[in-house]
Amino acid sequence: MTERYDVAVVGGGSAGLAALKRLSDLGKQAVLIEAGRQVGTKNVSGGILYSKKPRQGKTHNVEDLYENFEKEAPVERKITRYILHAASKDKDFAIDLTKAHEYQSNFGYSVLLGRLNPWFARRAVEAAEKQGGGLVSGVHVRSVGWSDGRAVIETDELEPFDVKAVIAADGVNSEIAEMTGARSKFTPQQLYQGVKVVVKLPEQILEERFGIGPGEGAAHLFAGDVTLGHIGGGFLYTNRDTLSVGAVYHFDSLVEKPAEPSALVNALLQDPLVADMIKDEVAVKQEIDRDLPKEEQLRARFAVSKLIKTWNELRDSYYSPAARSKLVEGGKYKSDAEIKSRLDLIKAELETKYGTKFVTDYVELEYSTKLVPDGKRCAMKKPYHNNILFIGDAAGRGVFIGPRIEGLNVGIDDAVRAADAVAKAIDRNNFAPEYMGEQYAQEVEKSPYTRDMREIDKDYLKTFLDATKDVPKDIVGQRYGVVFRLMSSSAFRGLAVGLANMLGYDKLLPLVESEETYVQVPIEIAERLGKQVQKTYEPTIPSVAERVARLKYDDDRQPHIRVLDAESEFMKKLVTLCPTKCYSLEDGKVVLQHEPCIECGTCARETEWRHPRGEKGVVYQYG
Amino acid sequence: MSDLKVAVIIKLEPDFSEGNVSYNADGTLNRAETKSILGPHSAIACQAAFYAKVRFGAWVGVGTMGPPIADAALAQAQAICDADMLHLYSDRSFAGADTLATAETLRAGIAKMDGKMDIVFSGHRASDGETGQTGPQTAWKLGFTFLGHVIDYDVDMDRRVVRAKRLVSLQGFYDIIEEVEAPLPVFIAIDPSYKPHFNTVSQRLAFEKYSQEARTRVANSKQYLKTFNAQELGVDPKLVGLPGSPTIVYKVEKIPKAKASRKAEVIDGSSRDELRRVAAKIHEVLGGMVIK
Ligand SMILES: Cc1cc2nc3c(=O)[nH]c(=O)nc-3n(C[C@H](O)[C@H](O)[C@H](O)COP(=O)(O)OP(=O)(O)OC[C@H]3O[C@@H](n4cnc5c(N)ncnc54)[C@H](O)[C@@H]3O)c2cc1C
Ligand code: SF4
Repeated sequence: MTERYDVAVVGGGSAGLAALKRLSDLGKQAVLIEAGRQVGTKNVSGGILYSKKPRQGKTHNVEDLYENFEKEAPVERKITRYILHAASKDKDFAIDLTKAHEYQSNFGYSVLLGRLNPWFARRAVEAAEKQGGGLVSGVHVRSVGWSDGRAVIETDELEPFDVKAVIAADGVNSEIAEMTGARSKFTPQQLYQGVKVVVKLPEQILEERFGIGPGEGAAHLFAGDVTLGHIGGGFLYTNRDTLSVGAVYHFDSLVEKPAEPSALVNALLQDPLVADMIKDEVAVKQEIDRDLPKEEQLRARFAVSKLIKTWNELRDSYYSPAARSKLVEGGKYKSDAEIKSRLDLIKAELETKYGTKFVTDYVELEYSTKLVPDGKRCAMKKPYHNNILFIGDAAGRGVFIGPRIEGLNVGIDDAVRAADAVAKAIDRNNFAPEYMGEQYAQEVEKSPYTRDMREIDKDYLKTFLDATKDVPKDIVGQRYGVVFRLMSSSAFRGLAVGLANMLGYDKLLPLVESEETYVQVPIEIAERLGKQVQKTYEPTIPSVAERVARLKYDDDRQPHIRVLDAESEFMKKLVTLCPTKCYSLEDGKVVLQHEPCIECGTCARETEWRHPRGEKGVVYQYG
Repeated sequence: MSDLKVAVIIKLEPDFSEGNVSYNADGTLNRAETKSILGPHSAIACQAAFYAKVRFGAWVGVGTMGPPIADAALAQAQAICDADMLHLYSDRSFAGADTLATAETLRAGIAKMDGKMDIVFSGHRASDGETGQTGPQTAWKLGFTFLGHVIDYDVDMDRRVVRAKRLVSLQGFYDIIEEVEAPLPVFIAIDPSYKPHFNTVSQRLAFEKYSQEARTRVANSKQYLKTFNAQELGVDPKLVGLPGSPTIVYKVEKIPKAKASRKAEVIDGSSRDELRRVAAKIHEVLGGMVIK
């Protein structure tokens, strides 16, 4: 006998987890199936999680769904400063966009999904268990079929089971969307490629450097020469004791002129301003004297590693008020001063005894990449298929407009709307697409985010333009024609925004989302108005191989990707576009080595692309 | 409450990992100085008990004979099997017990658990005793059917029988898997190759639920712990400890080191040259093999 449940949620990212929570809160039985061994090991974000309060309509926010979110959730920092940098080689012009960041928002927290999603999961599971549902991780859904009106879910690991309705939250590379024909694969024009590194930085050093108080955070965006001529830009967000540094680029722009994702993030790390933001004191081991007896060499090497580890850990604690007071209260140290002197002692021992050097550099913890759907261009018109409702990245939804980068909150909003539609369908026992699917589609129509994906928000644009009022009009005007010339004059701004609205996204986007906007204009602004910035050191940037070596994987011998045409133009470009260099060219044909794959989806367009089987593949720690 | 009750007998074992072992001058283990952990075979027995909890909602009790510090191993066991009760049988008079005397203590302890047990699990053997006899002897004392080398099992709750797969090695044959059926109660000695499988959504959900329960229980594991001395167990002093042991360890000899049949070379891999040598070695060994 196949097991039966009311609802299956496929995918345990922030969207799927929200669906599970909402359905359970509504008293419905739902099971969530997540491929990663643990929730949060497969998700990547920038990321800032927003809560919104639009003037028209209502968004379902994270704190509405999870009680005590602000108090208890393991968020990183509440972003209180939001700065856009126009960067050229050695000049920087900063535009304060804090007003735009605060626009119609309750808050925006920097988050790491490796920490946050497991918290969401615990909350959702507590609620789900009461309804006879729950969460199963380490299981990969292979197919969805139908029998007697019920959806039959087949997985790689478990016996099939069937449900009345499915919520597909399986991300940008949704297999469910593809195999059911609900939508076709996204095109490069509809996607961004996001690449990120997490950089370690002790808590109080971070706060001092960014001029923020405990719990407060800063966000910096970058455009100009750091883009290496591509359409997109960089970001740097402060977390509690790490930084998220990354870049998001229009994928078509990358396909046109292939650039390595690692090179794009490296350009950012090497920018003088960014380099200064990420820098830290780093211990560098010196060669052990090779004339010493072998045993002695090994012993010394071991001692150095251990000392450096202790120094790093103690230093992190020293610069974290909570950890520091724990050390003192726990009786390990009498005072802060004693910790400091112990630190100095270890350092001195390393320097004098083993010749360890302490230099200015940066420490990278994790490298990640993921495709991001551009909601303006790919949000599903009909976000359902039969009794399956699509939410979040799987539905191609997200608000990405200039400095607005919002996918997390949109997915959560979708999740609530989908869960509500499913709950109603359960009450009426009607899962027909004309009823349940349509109910959901109508709900989605009402979402303020849907509006943002379709039309320009005049007020937001105004806020943005006000922030950029110091930019000389000629730079903007000569490039963007009449509308923008009008906009950059405060007297006519209202009129201009109205005009822009009439033009609509279709006409406006190609104008705005251009090399001009992301590359030439910022460079010109920086050159003309920017202040000089000087590089004080050269960051030691790891190679792709080193980055891959630091990642955790649960290897699957069985490749989850199959190349269809090894000689196509697109596939050849993947030699450059794959973030972990899984593709190489041999005799004019691309060869795939799947082991280092981080499941970003970049190659999905022209391959048979599946997520790895349950528990397999990359295991992100930060996300 | 479920109508299946299972007990696991576990062994606190010396932690043989580097830096944690210490020996007496006569070559015997210095138990007082050697750190202890839940033995690896005992851990597998706990997994088998957890399977019963997940599949049949079984009540699980864990018992061990050992010094008071054995409570740490009991907590480790609880983390694996979400035990409802932890038993520690601890008394000076238990010292020097051989397998038979140990079996007597365990029998008496199991009798003190929550009513009559349906299945008792033990590990295959302990890594410090190596005799593998405590299990069968406890089974014999309990009067339970003994199933050894069990690599997989299931319970037919309606008929109250256990179906088990046993790994049997017969001389001259490859390993044979024997399938047996036995009415409850049974004593199962779990083979090290045992791996529980949870193949349906409901099993996975139960797995998650009980794993979570185990995490909360372990945080208060002392609340689940009952300690018994000889008197509380009501054992006959003649049957436990040294007096109850027909065998005694008379001498432990170090086996002379066999001459190495393979040569090992230490390359510390700290520089490019060293790594090149490793690569060259691999190349040499693999010879014509192609690595793609
Ligand atoms: C670099 C970068 C920066 C970003 N910055 C921001 C930001 O600052 N703010 C913001 O709001 N958004 C940001 N986003 C977007 C945001 O991260 C995403 O929109 C969001 O994480 C998507 O969540 P999701 O739950 O829809 O999908 P995902 O997080 O992708 O979750 C999908 C889940 O489904 C699972 N899954 C997939 N297929 C199967 C299957 N067949 N069976 C079982 N499980 C399956 C996967 O393992 C995964 O856990 C950024 C994205 C990137 C890449
Ligand atoms: S193989 Fe494809 S999915 Fe994997 S990392 Fe490379 S581009 Fe991304």
